[in-house]
Amino acid sequence: MQDVAVVGIGLSKHVSKRRDVNIAELVYEAVSAAYEDTGLSPHDIGAVITGNMPAFEGVNLPELWGAGHWGAYNKPLLRITTGGTTGGSVVHGAFYAVASGIFDAVIAIAFEKQSDGDTTMGLNTVALADIAPMLLYGADPTLLISMGGGAIGAVAYQATSYMKSSGCTTHHLDKVAAMCRDNAAKNPYAHLQQPGITPEEVAKTKMMEYPLRFGHCCPATDGACAMIITSGEKAKKITDCPAYIKSCTSCSDEGAVFGLYGGGTANVDPCEQEGCKIAAKKAYELAGIKDPSREIDVAEPYAPFANQLLMFYERLLLCEEGGAPAVLDSGSMYLDGDLPVCPSGGVISTNAIGASAMERVAECAMQIMGKAGEHQVKKEVHNAVAHGWGGALNLIVVAVLGDTPRG
Amino acid sequence: MNEYKEETTSIKGNWPLIHYRWKSETVKLMANFLEAFKEKKVLGLKCPCCGLVYTPPKPFCRCLCRPEEWVEVSDEGVVTTFTFSGAWSFEGMLEGEGESRIIVGVKLDGADTMFLCMLEGSDPEEVNVGMRVRIRWPEAPEGKIGDMMIVERAT
Repeated sequence: MQDVAVVGIGLSKHVSKRRDVNIAELVYEAVSAAYEDTGLSPHDIGAVITGNMPAFEGVNLPELWGAGHWGAYNKPLLRITTGGTTGGSVVHGAFYAVASGIFDAVIAIAFEKQSDGDTTMGLNTVALADIAPMLLYGADPTLLISMGGGAIGAVAYQATSYMKSSGCTTHHLDKVAAMCRDNAAKNPYAHLQQPGITPEEVAKTKMMEYPLRFGHCCPATDGACAMIITSGEKAKKITDCPAYIKSCTSCSDEGAVFGLYGGGTANVDPCEQEGCKIAAKKAYELAGIKDPSREIDVAEPYAPFANQLLMFYERLLLCEEGGAPAVLDSGSMYLDGDLPVCPSGGVISTNAIGASAMERVAECAMQIMGKAGEHQVKKEVHNAVAHGWGGALNLIVVAVLGDTPRG
Repeated sequence: MNEYKEETTSIKGNWPLIHYRWKSETVKLMANFLEAFKEKKVLGLKCPCCGLVYTPPKPFCRCLCRPEEWVEVSDEGVVTTFTFSGAWSFEGMLEGEGESRIIVGVKLDGADTMFLCMLEGSDPEEVNVGMRVRIRWPEAPEGKIGDMMIVERAT
């Protein structure tokens, strides 16, 4: 197996409705920025790995009609679609392509242009395997609807359960949201720009679905991300500071049928997230990391909702279970802290769904390369962990990145 | 017509999921599960390998064995999570129109998994994780999932 590194990153402008560009043009912004970042061109690339959730745009096989904008003519091309984890799974695809030695350089592309289509309808088709059996069993459709719709309808149960088991209060949720939005204001590619927003201001936003307020929830974003990923050998010739992908793991948790209630393992508890613990443990093991809470310098958990930042911080084994609210209070999660979390502003500030899990990896890579600009964390970054949550609420992806190849 | 558009447009989707009637393996398991409701009994399906009891039943266990032993579980249990629907939650949003409901995750005694129910007869302030609840059976259960979807405070 050969070493794998991120050598170049490109991001499009991220806002709620990119009316000025179509899907292909949006992707082109990220792709061309990634090439510019490296000085490479599509001629230097062996294959294209791409992903989005076509059900959200209502456009199928966009990578084929946009092949020119993808730089994909005459090249092997593979699309990967796994829900919220899509971007992370695309990184897996790129990692396997290079680690296997089949290719020395590939481009990984992930995007979502939600404003073109109907994301809620797309989500409904993802939830179909849960909804359809309930109807077969004679559940009243109006009761089902009142149980919650969209992603928040699942996360509300996760939030209540997590808050009870960890002692996390609504003030902690407000603090998480304010911290992330403040970080986002330092990131020109982040969607929501709310510099200096306070937890008190978040607490005043309207209730969406108990216990989550408007300020605790992600926006719907149009955006794209591209990364050029090469072998360790090639990376050294392209940049002085490649970000090595030390490990990529994933875990498929409880399946969809009757997994209606938030995707905990076997639906025992919606905040259990055993799959995340399994994937994280394996990722650290492969990356040679023995004590993640000491050896990881930056974490980018996939947290579209405030409670998830704390829950996944724990499930990524960065502290003991129930310990994250106290870690937040200690100040350690902020940009100048010991283990900054979501320096990019996180998914809670920017959620171009298909791209989101890749943007976690991209942020970790930028932090390692020292290219994050205003949202660069204060401490030196040697190792970082990126995470994605998606599928039908049941897939987890984890990647550990570092400034050196895996040992 | 040959028009260059400066801006993209949004297209609304329409996929009437409510009309879906899937072929689903769980329906066979559920037939047994639902039939027991007529006697106001709740069944669980127990995994022969790890012992986990699934209520409602599932064809595969998390340990990848196939649960096959039917066991009776209690119609009383504990609230594992909750939220509110309707006006208590959405505050004036479209989804807020309609009846306010307390929705609780319930793990019945003897079962290892949870499912969602409506809690009736309680105020929003009194619901909490750990609260004891019991299924409020209809007088003559018809053997449908709706028979077990209303719970009330048990103590």
